[in-house]
Amino acid sequence: MAGLRENTSGQLIILSGFVLCLSLVTLAVLVNQAMMTGYHSSNAVLEFPKHQIRDITSQTKESCVYMTRFALALNQSNNQSIQDNYVSLFNQYEQQMRIIYAGHGEEVTLAISSMNLTSIATNASAVSTVWVNITYNNGMTYYASEPEIIEVKP
Amino acid sequence: MDDKAQLQTLEGLGAALLITMTVVVITQSATVMTPQHEMMLDVQLEQMAYDALTLLDIAPSWVIDSNLTECVAGWDRNEATMKHNSLPYLDRELSLLLPGFLYNVDFSYVQNGNLTTKNAILNGYPTEDAVVARRTIMLTNSTVTTAKGVWPIASNEIKMVEVRLTVWQV
Repeated sequence: MAGLRENTSGQLIILSGFVLCLSLVTLAVLVNQAMMTGYHSSNAVLEFPKHQIRDITSQTKESCVYMTRFALALNQSNNQSIQDNYVSLFNQYEQQMRIIYAGHGEEVTLAISSMNLTSIATNASAVSTVWVNITYNNGMTYYASEPEIIEVKP
Repeated sequence: MDDKAQLQTLEGLGAALLITMTVVVITQSATVMTPQHEMMLDVQLEQMAYDALTLLDIAPSWVIDSNLTECVAGWDRNEATMKHNSLPYLDRELSLLLPGFLYNVDFSYVQNGNLTTKNAILNGYPTEDAVVARRTIMLTNSTVTTAKGVWPIASNEIKMVEVRLTVWQV
């Protein structure tokens, strides 16, 4: 430092210029990193099929509740049991959902793993459950909910 | 210490501050569209489209005239043209939820084991940065009859319909 103080030929100017250069380069690198972070996070959000998975699970829950009431109503008009009517409706649901999602390159499988609807046939306030296995695959993301336990009532 | 060197150092610092402030003001006042920004806008637009469909599907009947299921159930099954949209209720509700955006609505459903897709609302041809939102709804004979629709659904059948909303900005 003594040399710097005694020398008046501009070392301090060169040093401050050098410090400023380093600061500017650091700032530029930080800004670039922030932009790259934004790019990767946006790309990840766009690629991850959260909306599709939400649609499948919420629609399956909603449909299972509705199909229970529908199966009970059909039981009054045809000679099939509630379970048989329910399975028939669920098969229609599964087949159509599979074809619709296959239309945009996604594979959806839905299967009933367990259910017991006999109690709700006689008791209007009874609550039962339907267990549905749900899988989703778009080639990059695989999602499975095995089982999705859905509460149903008449 | 020499007074001259100190003044020159202060000049250097002042110049650096001036350059930094200029750069900050320019970057803050100008809009620079990079691929990153476009992607973030796509994320926001996609979220808005999904929110619009979700809101229309789950909103109670006292909030809107017809929810998404009722609109689809009452569809006359005629394809839309550039001057005539076959679902005026849905068109009106979407225009309120997506102000300043253009959109098309298609329906996909299974007919005789095959996937069929038809236009219901047609406002133009989407640009390259358009986003697509989808929502599936269930139709039955009773919902179609209530909405005075023409879907051929037997009393023991259900029909799944995918509502496909394509949104873009001009």
